[in-house]
Amino acid sequence: MKSSPWIRWVVAWMGVGLSGLGSLGLFLWEGGPWVISSLGLGIGLCWAAMASLYMQLRKSQRERAILDSKIVQSHKLAALGELSAGIAHEINNPLAVIGREAELMLHLLESSSQEGETSRQELLESVREVASQVERCREITQNLLNFARKMEPVFQKVDVNRLVEDMVKLVERETQGKGIQILREYDKHLEPIRTDPPGLRQVILNLLNNARQAMEQGGTIEVRTKASSSGGAEIMIRDTGCGIPQEQLPRIFDPFFTTKAHGKGTGLGLSICHGIVDRLGGRIRVKSRVGLGSTFVVELPSHPSGLEKGS
Amino acid sequence: MTPPRVLVVDDEEDFLETMVNRLKRRGLEAKGALSGPEALQMIAAESFDVVVLDVRMPGMDGIEVLREIKNRWPFLEVIMLTGHGSVESGIQGMRLGAFDYVMKPADLEDLLGKILQAHERRSLRED
Amino acid sequence: MNEIQKARVLLVDDEERFRATTSRLLGVRGFHVGTAASGAEALEELERNPYDVVVLDVRMPGMSGVETLGEIKRRQPGVEVLILTGHASVDTAVEIMRLGGADYLLKPCSMDELVNKIEAALERGKAQERR
Repeated sequence: MKSSPWIRWVVAWMGVGLSGLGSLGLFLWEGGPWVISSLGLGIGLCWAAMASLYMQLRKSQRERAILDSKIVQSHKLAALGELSAGIAHEINNPLAVIGREAELMLHLLESSSQEGETSRQELLESVREVASQVERCREITQNLLNFARKMEPVFQKVDVNRLVEDMVKLVERETQGKGIQILREYDKHLEPIRTDPPGLRQVILNLLNNARQAMEQGGTIEVRTKASSSGGAEIMIRDTGCGIPQEQLPRIFDPFFTTKAHGKGTGLGLSICHGIVDRLGGRIRVKSRVGLGSTFVVELPSHPSGLEKGS
Repeated sequence: MTPPRVLVVDDEEDFLETMVNRLKRRGLEAKGALSGPEALQMIAAESFDVVVLDVRMPGMDGIEVLREIKNRWPFLEVIMLTGHGSVESGIQGMRLGAFDYVMKPADLEDLLGKILQAHERRSLRED
Repeated sequence: MNEIQKARVLLVDDEERFRATTSRLLGVRGFHVGTAASGAEALEELERNPYDVVVLDVRMPGMSGVETLGEIKRRQPGVEVLILTGHASVDTAVEIMRLGGADYLLKPCSMDELVNKIEAALERGKAQERR
């Protein structure tokens, strides 16, 4: 969280303006000391007011950042709650059918039946229905397990430069002839790190794709890797596209937040990237200026401490 | 780790045969399937560690096959191969769980490295 | 057979097999049972034949259980309505009561529970009539 640039400008110009007033005051020296002192008092009060306004702003920005992260957390929890409720509802239906079939079977078996064959047929039908409902439940739980498994990273030794270049080559095929240039600079000293290869590929591909889409009229994408001081990796993707407005920046990693037109883009890309990088023990940062472009930086540790099984 | 058992899926018969033979010569167990449905049948019948799957196939396309595979055998790693794949289908493929997305013509050494990495991932996950 | 067991029950649920089996088991216990697969069908059936109690699943495609409840009470306030719901919450219960529902049941429920609630609803209905 940084203080807005505009506030700094206002404060600076106020300073200049008030100094000017102060100089004017010196000219009014003839008016006697009381003019000077009242002017001085006035200036002092203005400064005090500006300073306290500035402090208030910084404080509310800090609070806003905390609130934002709490909102993200509660969205995630709400989403999780919704998912669980959804699954529970789904499973209740087959369970209700199974319960009924069991009761029907009890009835068929307990009642003295003159039509032995019909009864047997019905029993068979009932049992088959139970089997089919159990299969239905299995599908529901399988879907949930698949979803959960997809979220789990598997850590392997990865040559980050190779991985990034693979993704760049993929995107380059599509950007050729469209006025988009991709420049790369890979750090030769970057050692392999332990991370999840398909997860990282997804992130890089997504970021490259976003960069490409931000530059409909053409431009340059710069891709850089750097060994970080802790032995991990830093991957930077910079574009010269339309950029992201300041007020949208805090929300771009939110699920379903998108600046694309309706129907184009689900708004999930960056939130998925953020989730993946998070699970890899890393961080993703963004800087952007409207009209100039955006820079995304993905930082990854050399190995995720405490995240790997048996680590 | 035992050598990976690879299933290559591609509707181009020549490409398929060449690829399978090349992999065999490098010491891998490799078989081929000419279509999605054939591939799914083979996977159901025998064990494979890695599937190398062409994205563009008539009938059941690569993404559909990938979806089926991930639904039924989530531990099976899939490498997508594309002749002129779009970035979007690459993203989609990876989101569906593909291990990697490689362009044709694929350099054999490169592909081999990816197959081995995919195989390693599979063994790591099976606990 | 006592009066309650001659009661007419309309069972409304979009799951075909569930409808069939439940209505059969209710029949065994002496109820006259009609079925409908949706809210709209239920309203149609209510126009055609008289019923004492409607058992209504809350989640159905098209007209929801709660919407159907409202409509039934509007058209035939004398009919008792029981709601079958996947989960209970104070909000749901309040809403159901507010709209005129007699009671609600958690799905999955046993036949005994269902019959008990149907009988209770019928008692209530009779008590209201006598007033």
